[in-house]
Amino acid sequence: MTSAPGSPAPGKSSGSSGGEEQWQRVHPVSPLVRGWIALAAVAYVVGRDSVEALFLREEPSGPLPDGTPLAWVVIGLVVLLLAIAAVFFLSWWFTRYQVTSGHVRVRSGVLFRQHRQARLDRVQAVDINQPLLARLFGLAELRFEVADAGESAVRLSFLRLDDARALRGTILARASGADPEADSDTEAGTEAGGEETGESAAGTGTAASARRRGPAEAPEYPVLALAPGRVLGATALSGNTVVLVIGIIAVLILTFATGEGVSLAAFIPLGLAVVGGYWSMLNTSWNFRAAVSRDGVRLRYGLLDTRTQTVPPGRIQAVAVTQPLLWRITGWYRISVNVAGYGAAAGNDGAARTRLLPAGTLEETLQILALVLPNPGTPDPVGLFSAGIEGSGTDHGFTVSPRRARWVAPLQWRRSGYALTETALLSRSGRLWRNLTVVPHERIQSMALHQGPLARKLRIADLRLHSTPGPVSPRIRQLDEAVLLELFNEQSVRAADARRRDRTERWLHRETATGPAVSAAPEDPGTAALPAEGSNAAPQMEENWNEHR
Amino acid sequence: MHNQAIDPQGLTWQRVSPRYLTLRVLSLAVEALITLAVVSVPLVLRSLDIWGGFPAWIAWGLPGVFLVGFIWRGVLLPRQVRAIGYAERGEDLLLRTGIFFQRTLVVPYGRMQYVDVAVGPFERLFGLCTLKLHTASPGTDATIPGLPTDEGARLREHLSARGEAQLAGL
Repeated sequence: MTSAPGSPAPGKSSGSSGGEEQWQRVHPVSPLVRGWIALAAVAYVVGRDSVEALFLREEPSGPLPDGTPLAWVVIGLVVLLLAIAAVFFLSWWFTRYQVTSGHVRVRSGVLFRQHRQARLDRVQAVDINQPLLARLFGLAELRFEVADAGESAVRLSFLRLDDARALRGTILARASGADPEADSDTEAGTEAGGEETGESAAGTGTAASARRRGPAEAPEYPVLALAPGRVLGATALSGNTVVLVIGIIAVLILTFATGEGVSLAAFIPLGLAVVGGYWSMLNTSWNFRAAVSRDGVRLRYGLLDTRTQTVPPGRIQAVAVTQPLLWRITGWYRISVNVAGYGAAAGNDGAARTRLLPAGTLEETLQILALVLPNPGTPDPVGLFSAGIEGSGTDHGFTVSPRRARWVAPLQWRRSGYALTETALLSRSGRLWRNLTVVPHERIQSMALHQGPLARKLRIADLRLHSTPGPVSPRIRQLDEAVLLELFNEQSVRAADARRRDRTERWLHRETATGPAVSAAPEDPGTAALPAEGSNAAPQMEENWNEHR
Repeated sequence: MHNQAIDPQGLTWQRVSPRYLTLRVLSLAVEALITLAVVSVPLVLRSLDIWGGFPAWIAWGLPGVFLVGFIWRGVLLPRQVRAIGYAERGEDLLLRTGIFFQRTLVVPYGRMQYVDVAVGPFERLFGLCTLKLHTASPGTDATIPGLPTDEGARLREHLSARGEAQLAGL
């Protein structure tokens, strides 16, 4: 557990040993699964003509001029199919990937070749997706996310599900610094590698077993699963329902006002939107299960398309617990997070990926928070976070708006405020739409104090914490300006200290400094010996939080 | 320099170049001239009796409103430019802007992803440049306009060096 002073810092491992690793191809069926829409279109055009011809007992017409001999049609079809097959084959043949000790590389493209490589220790998340058709074939898509708010850095579609899982295991083991092979091929890392083996074998008992195949995945501990009833209920009480109710009321009013039935056709677009909203929520929350492993939080969900997300420790930039208005009735909450690789949530897909808990009770919400913040930095996390989620006033160390802030925030001034723990800053707001955001100190990108003319008269101000792109934008509202200025100054110092201590880049690598995160603090060698925070995963974090339940 | 309530104490704010005010005044004047010329078209048409039916109060009111707006902005400009300030601390850079809607921003050096220095054609005439810091957050709007070119270059080098020394993982 202690640091080995003589061992080298492998942070700069160049991955020059890439030659040893074999280049691999994705599953041969993948182009079919990916290009099924194109195939379906061809089949539709051809099939429609043939069927028509069959029924009408005449030559197929469609796009072809009349009188074309049947043989030409068949030849044309065959050529078309061959061309599609050739394109599929070439795209498959030229797409190869490789996972080395330090990098994952993908080569693709036939005419325009692309060679992409991503550093493993920059991983922000690893997802395994199974769209419906891929699921039928037993295939899965693996996505490797780095901190680039756009598309996935590496997207391997498709692999056999088992292969995808094994690859995820390899990636995470190497990224975490727990995989012995990852170190053994850096210049002088053999000793360190041996030591590591002992550690990880003691920890999991699996790392040593599958050497060549890549390490088995870290064992995971299920934390919670949402029952179908919950998902249905949450869907029924979502914002869609409000739209639907308003729509129905509008129809009724119109009907009574005009005395004649309103054409239902006018409401088809609205109906489609509502149904689509319900569907996307069901499809992305169904069978939601959360688990925790050494390699971070793992989520599984999906009705037709299933998805498994793994977010390693320290990759969650900010957390928000929110409660839509109607969920006040049932006491449910939603947890969203900012993860650098997921970027701004665009569309249903993005929104689902950043949702850590679609709908949970207070108890479940606290459970998930315990996963995200294994070290809450407070002796009474349950009390503090409960107060943050549903409390108001200064209980549990919250600092709230001064009374004079009621002129601009008549409802929420008692609730709007912040609290500090040793590891995170909590910001609470919203009376009707409750909102709690939690940002670990070391994840704050920058901060800004804002004060408008009205706020200046009331001597209050806002503090915005800037986080990576995502659904959470933490903001402390309407606090006394002097209090907030003090927080602003202290928080800068706290964040800087926390950044120096942060060891999550390679979360299982417990010795000398690795990577730029640590080499950045050469003046502070004492911290290098600190154990990686959150590295011992489930057992410890459960203890931290469970004592108080 | 007035010390506002949300400014950290004990800092000496660096000001942007006075030439930046000249630049802003000139560009505002150009913008005002063009805009006023456009919104005065109905008035001219009316005076020339080409479009005599046009209501007089709109013909006079439209340019009037714009004129008042531009004068107001012109009056505020000196204070706005004076309100821009930046300060380098040991671990972070502070930046303040605004007179009505004030903002004090702090960007840790270890959080900077890259630094941009941009020089437009008019800025070049005045020997100025605009420096922009980028972090991993789109919310960080850290732009320092109106820096003298050599100060911009110095700041860029300084920030890059500091950023490299303190760079932290996301």
